[in-house]
Amino acid sequence: MPEQGLAVRFTGNRSALFWLALKTGFWTVLTLGFYRFWMKTRLRRWYWSAIRPGGHPLEYVGDPWEKLLGFFIAVVVLTFYIGIVNLVLMFVSFSVFQSSSIGYLASFAGIVPVWFYAQYRARRYVLARTRWRGVRFGLEAGAWGYAWRALVHWALTVASLGVLWPRMTFALEKYKTDRTYFGSARLHQGGRWSMLYRAALPFGSGVAALVALALWMVLIDPILPTRSLSWDEVSGATTVMMYGFVPDAWSGAARLFWLVPIFVLLVYGAIHYRFVSKRILANHKSADGIRLKSDLKGLRISMIYVLGTTIAYTILAVGIVVVVSAALGLFGTDAFPEAQPGTADPIGAVARWLSFGIIAVMYLGVFLLWGVLHHTFVTYPLMRHMALTLCLVNVAPLAGISQRARDAFAEAEGFAEALDLGAAI
Amino acid sequence: MSGPPDLPPAADAGGVLFDGDKPVAQTVRLRVDRQADVLEISGYGDDMTPVHWPLAQIRRLPDIAGGPVAVVRWTEDPVARLQVPDARILAALPRATNRGAPKGRARLAGWALAAVAAVALQIGVLIPLLADRLSGFVPPEGERALGEATFGQIREALAGSGLPPLPICEGPAGIAALDTMRAALGRNGAQAPLSIFVLDHEMVNAFALPGGVVVFFRGMIDAAENPNEIAAVLAHEIGHVENRDPTRHALRSAGSIGILGLLFGDFAGGAAVLFLTERLISARYSQAAEAGADAYAYGALEQAGVSPAALGDMFERLRDRYGDTAGITAHFVSHPTLTSRITRARASARPEGSYGAIVTDEEWAALKTICD
Repeated sequence: MPEQGLAVRFTGNRSALFWLALKTGFWTVLTLGFYRFWMKTRLRRWYWSAIRPGGHPLEYVGDPWEKLLGFFIAVVVLTFYIGIVNLVLMFVSFSVFQSSSIGYLASFAGIVPVWFYAQYRARRYVLARTRWRGVRFGLEAGAWGYAWRALVHWALTVASLGVLWPRMTFALEKYKTDRTYFGSARLHQGGRWSMLYRAALPFGSGVAALVALALWMVLIDPILPTRSLSWDEVSGATTVMMYGFVPDAWSGAARLFWLVPIFVLLVYGAIHYRFVSKRILANHKSADGIRLKSDLKGLRISMIYVLGTTIAYTILAVGIVVVVSAALGLFGTDAFPEAQPGTADPIGAVARWLSFGIIAVMYLGVFLLWGVLHHTFVTYPLMRHMALTLCLVNVAPLAGISQRARDAFAEAEGFAEALDLGAAI
Repeated sequence: MSGPPDLPPAADAGGVLFDGDKPVAQTVRLRVDRQADVLEISGYGDDMTPVHWPLAQIRRLPDIAGGPVAVVRWTEDPVARLQVPDARILAALPRATNRGAPKGRARLAGWALAAVAAVALQIGVLIPLLADRLSGFVPPEGERALGEATFGQIREALAGSGLPPLPICEGPAGIAALDTMRAALGRNGAQAPLSIFVLDHEMVNAFALPGGVVVFFRGMIDAAENPNEIAAVLAHEIGHVENRDPTRHALRSAGSIGILGLLFGDFAGGAAVLFLTERLISARYSQAAEAGADAYAYGALEQAGVSPAALGDMFERLRDRYGDTAGITAHFVSHPTLTSRITRARASARPEGSYGAIVTDEEWAALKTICD
């Protein structure tokens, strides 16, 4: 149906992305993090241009300088908030509760609304800098509205022990989608929140299996004898884990191995929910009669996710071993204990700062390597699968859409950047 | 300028134009006009009046993922985009990869300055001011808890990750010697409690924590040549405790830690934590705070029948060993005014006074071996 529908293509190969990520990541390390605004911009440009609905690439027009500016603005605003608030919270925490943990907790709780706020603002910035066929996307203002809704939905979700999680997913997505524009066309999120329970089935059955196993082993056929127990018998759980054998007092301990498939099911269920809920939501999105259609495969996505993460971690581990052994060979084992703060003799101090520098570079290097591998083996294939399984249905109304005004948005995604939730890309 | 002649096939290459208003692809004919130095974009039918983009003002979008098309834009039109599949047209664009200077540089510089100023104002002025005010209101139990938490963190940080915290030396005779010193310095438990610990570490340092905790490193006891020098350092640290300097310092760190986390973020979060641990140990107080602690020490030593010059002796020993400014961690060593503090300590000893030792030789020997 070439007239009514547009398939999404995905171009660009993995090695090109790998080199781009490595090159920009290298500069980021070299500039002590300042290049990260450029790195993020360039990677986004690349990903956006790889996604091509109807063969026409998306375009990311974000500018690294405006990101830097936004970061400065966020620093100015947030230093006052964070510095003074933390100090006062610590004071109260020690004066009234005699412990620091309450202060940390309150300090964390205080930042959560700002976190949601920043999340929405970052999305607004990214959409405002995304174009397709020369026409801008956009998101209406409404970050505080998003923040308090997110707080309420999280509270409900926690209070309902996660049963209302799909309700939260749907409501927050609807809030964002209904405020999204493509040119003059406003997007609409249709459907009901209960439709997302389908996506939660694998995770739900994992939880059910876990509960059933717990009931079986505790109530129906107790794994531990019901008579009074000696400590050695109770502490058997650690024995199983550490030495791999089961104390005699346990009955039917082989049942414990059911935990393995249940754990796998829970992991699969979590990934499945995250992406399949996106599919269901996408299939209920429309703008001026143009609809999205996603055919994303939950199992395939989970395979990509798990395999990609495993590959990335494996290469990272090998890389760390190589770097550490190289460092050991170069500087000897002495270089490392010296890195502890506080050896006061002057030669030790020089060696300490030197090895401190070496360790800092290694730390950043590992960080860089992780980012590059994650892009190459996780983000890239995920994006590709999501793009290739997506298409636009009934595109005739596109001709009626026109350009929207530019959203200046001086602070860019500064708050999200400062609070470290700068998204994966 | 004698450029190459019109490129025969490329003169008529096809492209796709997006006019920047409607998301509709227009198939267009592209022709490089060397005479006028423009790219002529015209429709295949009559529905479109040809547009001309000067060749020197056409830019290619950077970082486009592989694939057959390149996308170009005209610097004078922020939204129109042209997809060019033909490499020969691209070759005719002299400034395709030019980058414009960043816009709004003055504004950027202004905010950069504001950010630096905000952090400096915060860490240098506001937080210390607030910390000084608030430290007077922390009740003793609160100070105690703060001190214990910090002490635990320092012991763990010094041991290194994954290792048990740095051991506390507990030789009973050595502890008894420290108790004698404490009593002689007028801290009999009548006032707020004072705990003295020795940590088994070679660093030549001692510091005070909130809630009346004074910590010596074994290196300091090894470096001292007589017990009076240790008593002098102890008196100095008690001075900090009396003046609530550590509480003030801890509150300051609490305020600064969040700001540093904000600046460095995940990227160098680990490094920021290391840096802060360093700051906690070095506990560099202001010159006024050091002078205040010194003054307290002179008085306490005088009352204990020990010459205040002992503090000067200890400082001098450290200075001769490390120089006036070297030694990153020992806070009294790092002060550039160390020489003047030595002079002052010696001057505050009465020339005609008769001074003794703070503990007996046996007690001193026990203190020397407190970690064995």
